[in-house]
Parts: sequence; structure tokens; C-alpha cells
Amino acid sequence: MTEPVRAKSDDRVLVRIRGLSTVLSGKKVFDAMDLDIPRGKVTAIMGPSGTGKTTLLKHITGQMRSDAGEVRVDGQNVPALDREALYTLRERIGYLFQNSALLTDFDVFENVAFPLRQHTRLPEVLIRNIVLTKLQAVGLRGAAGLMPSELSGGMARRVALARAIVFDPMLILYDEPFVGLDPIALNQVLKLIRTLNETLGITSVLVAHELEAIKQVADHIYLIANGKVVAHGDPKTIADDGSPWTRQFFGGEADGPVPFQYPADDYAEALGFKRGEA
Amino acid sequence: MNARMGGSDNIVMRSLEQIGECGLFLLRVLAAIPRSLRYLRETVRQLWFVGAMSLTIIMVCGLFVGMVLALQLYHVLSIFGGTAATGTVVAISIYRELGPVVTALLFAGRAGTAITAEIGLMRATDQIAAMELMAVDPLSYVAAPRFLAGVIAMPLLCCVFCALGIFGGHLVGVTWLGIDNGTFWSNMTATVDVWQDIVNGVIWKSLVFGAVVSLIAVFQGYTTPPTSEGVAYATTRTVVASSIAILALDFVLTAFLM
Repeated sequence: MTEPVRAKSDDRVLVRIRGLSTVLSGKKVFDAMDLDIPRGKVTAIMGPSGTGKTTLLKHITGQMRSDAGEVRVDGQNVPALDREALYTLRERIGYLFQNSALLTDFDVFENVAFPLRQHTRLPEVLIRNIVLTKLQAVGLRGAAGLMPSELSGGMARRVALARAIVFDPMLILYDEPFVGLDPIALNQVLKLIRTLNETLGITSVLVAHELEAIKQVADHIYLIANGKVVAHGDPKTIADDGSPWTRQFFGGEADGPVPFQYPADDYAEALGFKRGEA
Repeated sequence: MNARMGGSDNIVMRSLEQIGECGLFLLRVLAAIPRSLRYLRETVRQLWFVGAMSLTIIMVCGLFVGMVLALQLYHVLSIFGGTAATGTVVAISIYRELGPVVTALLFAGRAGTAITAEIGLMRATDQIAAMELMAVDPLSYVAAPRFLAGVIAMPLLCCVFCALGIFGGHLVGVTWLGIDNGTFWSNMTATVDVWQDIVNGVIWKSLVFGAVVSLIAVFQGYTTPPTSEGVAYATTRTVVASSIAILALDFVLTAFLM
């Protein structure tokens, strides 16, 4: 059943998650988790590997259904949307994949133009201008004629970013945007995220592990572990938080509430030693 | 589902499960065809890719199949003094069986595997997911145009195969072995029936084979695990499943159409 679109311009929360529970392959990924993404801010989702950060993005975009709970984006309950309404909502959401996910048959220009060609009937001149404007914003106007295979990882990420913002979305989801970037590209991507947020008022959600980068760009951080939010706040609050979770995660310690070792049999026995042997 | 989840190695159950999933997938693709008409340019691009790009292999193989067929038939028929019937038997063999079947087998090897590998890699590199997130239905944009292109291309390729096969038969029978040119053509035109041999043999069979090969290729690519090993297995399965389906369906269609 389709939920009516409710304009909530006065609502300061763009994404509201309540009681989210998800079980994947018998493992509880989210356990009645609550989380709010403030409108017009940059929010970082952090946490140990395998805690479901990308899964959370999939819930927000409706790619994956939860077992229980509510995911509201701009007032619309995503799991309750039908295909048409979900696609209409997705036109207002940009998504940056970890591996860029550029369409390999098309050059850079056509990759960025792809959403415009699919959803609008704009004249070619206008499409060209919009695409070149977005490519200029990510510093790759000169690369418009290159194929994805001719791009470096950082360039591909920036092209994917240009594609994600080509519709001026209300929300951009970044899945590990800093992985594999050299310091120059990393800095440029950080600046872009901040600039897009400040100039276009886009709400940004970042899933990342790079604390120093996150501190520079995020207004708010959520630390997720064991299916729940274990800490949240602005970067300074999180850094000063003395909980075992934040100490272990941001201190990079092996010992703490998050086990470093995957559950396994006794180590000595696996190596062939018997208990009591010297 | 249980067979896979439970680790059962019952190959019959797994095959039936695959056929069931493939049937449901076909319904989804058919439902997506009206929406895919928006992407006519993509269908034409795929038609070029699976049709025009397959022409070389189809033409070369058609020529040699016709040549070897004429050569074998000439020597067998000469025992009975019936070499004048070479053109007729070449034409009927090609129209009724060899044309559609060999074209479909070649199509599965050339275009079917390419479709599976392309869609599988699109899935492995998140291109399919990216389309979903750009509010573009991958079934309408990726699956349906490739399926349609295969259905349209197969009869055309089969016609080319048959034409080159007859030409190959003429080349060997008339030019090389000395059968009279007039006898070769007149016997052929007198015996070949347009409805029975061309429509039932060439058109209907190649339409069905085109649909089956395209469906298998798109299905395997669409459902492959997003790994290099998964894509490799999927392309292999496309060839194996298509070959079995073509030969089995050929028998069924021949039995019904004769």
C-alpha cells in the first residue's frame, strides 16, 4: 500500500528510523534500533566491520526490507511504498557506491547524463549544460569523453558523485567514499561533500571508517555496534566520550566489547596441542 | 529452495527449481516489455550486438555446413544414381533442421554467453544496483531489451544461415561436382514447401529457439552470484542449458509441426 506523500519541510529530521530489526543469515544485524538523520547536515555512520552500516543504507533506499520497524524518509514510510512511489523517492536520493558503479558501456558524460535521459525530456543543450556543470563541480569537465576504464579510482568516485548530484537530490548516501583515495583525492572529496552540503543544502549520510576525515566533514556521528546505536553526537563529543565502545573503536584496540577474533574452537587444540602439555 | 539451503545434492530437484525460477523470471521479463519500449534505442543497440555482430560466424558456418552436406549427399546419392536430388535434400535438411538448430547453437555460444557475462559483470560491479537506485528498472532497461533482441535476431540469422547453406551446397554440387545448375534449382523449388519448410521450419523454430536461448542467457546473468567464479559458471550453464533445450525442443516442435 502506498503511503501518501507528506511534505515535512518544518521537520528537522529527514530520515527517521524507529525499532529497526533485521536478521540476515540467522545473525541479528539490527535490534530495535532508533536513529535520526537531521535535515541539511552531514551525518556519519561508523562502526566495526559487519555491523550493518551498508545494510542500513539499503533500508533507507528500500533495497532491503527489515523484519520489523519503520524507516521514514521525508515523512514516507519506505517499506510501505509501492514500486512507483519508491522510484519517485529514489529520484530524490543520490547514492555513491564504494566501487563507483559507473556504467561501463558509456563514457563519463553519458554516465552523468544517464538519470537525466531516463527521467526527463530536457533538450540536449540543457542536458549538456547540466552535465558539464556537475562535472566542473567535481573537477572532471575535461574528462567528459573518457570511458570508465580510463579513470583512476579517485576520478571514478568523483564521476559517480557528479552522477549522484545531477538531479540535485535532497539526500546523498555515501558508502565508504574515502576507501583507496590518495590524500589529494581524499581532500577533494571531503571538500566536495562539505560544499554540496553548504551550497545546495543537501543532507548527507556517510558510511566510513576514517575518523580523521569524518571529524573534518561530519556534523553528527552515530557509532553502531551489536545492532544498536552505542554512541552518537558531534565529532568532539564522540571523541571525548569515554565509553568502552568509543575507546575501543576510535583507539583501534583489539580488546573491548567488539571481539577482534571471529568465534572459533580452542586455538591450542586447533594447533594440535593438548591441554596440560608444555 | 530447500535443496540449496539444506545442501541436498539432488540434481533433479535443483534442475526443477531452476526451471521454475526461470519460468517466473520469464513472466517478470514479459511484464517489463511494455515499459522497455521506452528504451527502444537500447533494444536496437542490443539487436546490433547479438544480431549483426553474430553475422560472421553464422555466415561462415552456414557456408561450410551447406558445402559438407552437399559433398556427403552427392556421394551417397550417386550410389543410387540420384545426384539430381542433391539440391533438394540439402535445402530440406537445412530449412527443417540444420538451419534453426545450428544457428541456435551458434547463437547460444556467441551471443548467449556474451549476454550472460555482460549482465553478470554488471551485477558484480553494482551497475544493476546503481540503476535500481537511479529509479531505472533493470528488468526494463537490461533484461527485456536483450530478450527482445534475441527473439528478433534469431529468425533473421537463421535466414542468413540457410541462404549461405544453400549457396555452399550449390558451390560444391554444381560448381565442383558438376550437377546441372537447372536441375539443382528446379528440383529444389519444386520440392520445398513454403509453409511446411520455411514457415514451420525456419521461422517458428528459430523464434522459439531465440526466445529460449535469450531467456536462459538473461536469466543466468541476472541471477549469477556476483563473483568471477559465479560469472564463469553462469556462462557455462548458458551454453549447456541452451544446447539441451534447443535439441529437446527441436524434437518436440518437429513432432508437432510435421
